[in-house]
Amino acid sequence: MRFAYPGGVEVYPEPGLTLTLGSGVTALVGENGAGKTTLTKLLIGLLRPSAGSVTVAGLEVAKITVAAMARTVGYSFQNPDDQLFERTVQAEVSFGPRVLRRSAEGIERGVAWALRACGLEGKEDVHPHDLGLSERKWVAIASALAGEPAVVVLDEPTLGQDYPSRERLRSLVRELDDRGRSVLVVTHDMDFVGEACPTAVVLSHGRVRYSGPTSKAFADHSVIQEAGLEPPHVDSLARMLGLSECVSEADVLSAWRR
Amino acid sequence: MAGGLSLYAEGKSLLHRAHPLTKGALTLSAIAIAFIAPSIGWVLGIGVILLVLVTAAGVLRRLLAVAAAILLPITLLLLAVQGFANANNRTVAFALGPIVYYREGLAIAALAALRIACLVCATFLFSFTTRPADISEALMQRGLSTRMGYVVQSALQIIPQTLDMAGRIQDAQRARGLETEGSLPRRARAYLPLMLPLVLSSLVATQERAMALEVRGFGLPVKRVARFEFADSPLQRVLRWVLIGAVPAAIAARLAGWR
Amino acid sequence: MGPDRGGARGDRRPPRGVALSSTSLVFENVSYAYEEAAREAVSDLSLSIAVGEWVGVTGPTNAGKSTLCLLAMGLAPHFFGGRLKGRVVVLEKDSRELSVIQRSAEVGLLFQNPFTQISGARERVDDEVGFGPECHGVSRLEVAARVEEAMALVGISQLAARHPMDLSGGQLQRLALAGLLAMRPKLLLLDEPTSQLDPAGTAAIFDVLAGLHASGITIVMVEHRLETLCELCPRVVAMVAGRIIADGPPDDVFNREAVQLRVGSPVFTRLAREAGLSPPWPVRLRDATAVFGRRLA
Repeated sequence: MRFAYPGGVEVYPEPGLTLTLGSGVTALVGENGAGKTTLTKLLIGLLRPSAGSVTVAGLEVAKITVAAMARTVGYSFQNPDDQLFERTVQAEVSFGPRVLRRSAEGIERGVAWALRACGLEGKEDVHPHDLGLSERKWVAIASALAGEPAVVVLDEPTLGQDYPSRERLRSLVRELDDRGRSVLVVTHDMDFVGEACPTAVVLSHGRVRYSGPTSKAFADHSVIQEAGLEPPHVDSLARMLGLSECVSEADVLSAWRR
Repeated sequence: MAGGLSLYAEGKSLLHRAHPLTKGALTLSAIAIAFIAPSIGWVLGIGVILLVLVTAAGVLRRLLAVAAAILLPITLLLLAVQGFANANNRTVAFALGPIVYYREGLAIAALAALRIACLVCATFLFSFTTRPADISEALMQRGLSTRMGYVVQSALQIIPQTLDMAGRIQDAQRARGLETEGSLPRRARAYLPLMLPLVLSSLVATQERAMALEVRGFGLPVKRVARFEFADSPLQRVLRWVLIGAVPAAIAARLAGWR
Repeated sequence: MGPDRGGARGDRRPPRGVALSSTSLVFENVSYAYEEAAREAVSDLSLSIAVGEWVGVTGPTNAGKSTLCLLAMGLAPHFFGGRLKGRVVVLEKDSRELSVIQRSAEVGLLFQNPFTQISGARERVDDEVGFGPECHGVSRLEVAARVEEAMALVGISQLAARHPMDLSGGQLQRLALAGLLAMRPKLLLLDEPTSQLDPAGTAAIFDVLAGLHASGITIVMVEHRLETLCELCPRVVAMVAGRIIADGPPDDVFNREAVQLRVGSPVFTRLAREAGLSPPWPVRLRDATAVFGRRLA
């Protein structure tokens, strides 16, 4: 697949991007300008490729409208203010399932679950703009989840989040995985990638530099450096101690105990 | 993201180098006199002068492109309606099937169309040869307050910014299931849920921007330092007075019986 | 200037007899509530920051960290209204006596959202950077010099002729920082300055800040990434629900249970605790390597 913005800036140069993402939780990492957000927009049809095709859950994206894709893919934007437009948190989160014409129970179930998973219980009647930036991000994430889509795309969910929020994000991602959803997390936060995403795709200058288990992603530091990234803190510690590859705290502890 | 709204075309012609206020005076004067002058001959004369200036500035091709898009439909509409329905119609010019066109109506339509053409020409001549930053700078050097100057400067970026915001909000709504593609009524309906969030987001953005401006010291009662100098000359100063003065002179002439 | 172990709130008034000109920012029992807000955003805050310090501020959401910055800048209460109790003294001047624009020559505030920080009145990046100094009536030559210096410092010199609206979020944040630096502030307040930047961009900004710190500028930085905070800031203030719960060197602050529970701790600290090592636990990579390494040996 190839794509170029109207200004002629080609995001994915010849011979184009070929990538297959499986189920489970995948992290999409790369420096700014590598093409991560472009890729996610292509996934939901907000952008159309100039060559090649994009298929999600068996549906060819070019053949259906963006709104129709929303049944299958829940997308949470990087800047929540691009996404929020209702007057209360409740209205915002239930917008998706309402527009998708889910049944009343389906809407209630989806919204209740999304609010709980995102820590927004008790804030249903608050105006989103009265919340801080990090809470607005959670509202955006909840909005993407309420429709119970099969695929969830989170664009930079860890930005500006405090430690308890990052923990909540980890459990959310795990819960989505348990429920059999495919999750794609676009992020810079390598610690989060190590802790919560078993699969990683490294994008650099519009090319896929690595695609596979996260545990092996940091084995070759040159790939990471060339992509403008840094390894997780636990990886740095493990290297300095001479321990084998570690990407999560659990890894370090088990390596340490041996 | 789009840049600001600007039609400015790089160039080194006399017009490009002229003081913005001179060009402003020229534009306003030309438009006013085109509408005051009594007959086609005079208006045509102004139009020709403008075209000469446009060519000298090197922007003829650009002007023809935009002018054609704007003027052609207006001219045809005027000719079609006035030629057929004007109250003073007496002399038949020609007939298109059952519809009869009269000379008087056509003449009036032609005059109106020419006046509008002069307006378009003068406005685009100004826009093509003047940087937006220069307009506000020139006005502020002449005493416009910094606050008003800011309003002028930011006005040009407001529209692309708002369009940008509208696009992003609509993308977000589409990504949540709001159908915007398809039949015309459906596409039109999709604009309704856009309005409230657009206004709200604009208000919030405005508040944040106001805070950021204060943090940078906007509004301090300091003597303004000119950002750049404009080439000016006694000739241009005289020219500005002549151009502006021509307007009341033309009005007086009309009142005195200029035909 | 050394840390005064005066209890959990870290009461930081300078001792009698010391000239106040050595302080950059002082909060004396400050409480503030926004207009129409039920609860206070900050309560009974007392904090003293000396000139040249680099202080990290952290805490969960709604801890009052951003409010702290807004109070220091004067936007609270001058812009937002609200109820202010206590004294905020910035560079020796009481906050109530100075408006925000009067303070802008010496204090700079970088907001979280880069998109709304540009003036919207300039078509070139270099003109945008010069907006602040121009508002202060700085001469044309001086403005040009400062613009060049600021752009080089944050690494956007190559973007000088671009239209600000064409920049990405990360580039915009650097532009906003350059715009502040062009005013040569003595006190810099940064609300999560690298939130929009990728790791390379983040490292570049922190290098800039390190340089500014070395030249004597006081920096107050709100940051969620605790490992970064511990690495860079000699002093950390931990806030929860509008109050300061700890104030001191990072090694002290993150070894407190209250902080670990309510704010979190760097990954090294958690690892050391889980691995059963005895306190005090390390907060930095260097120290963690040493501590773990000793046990391996």
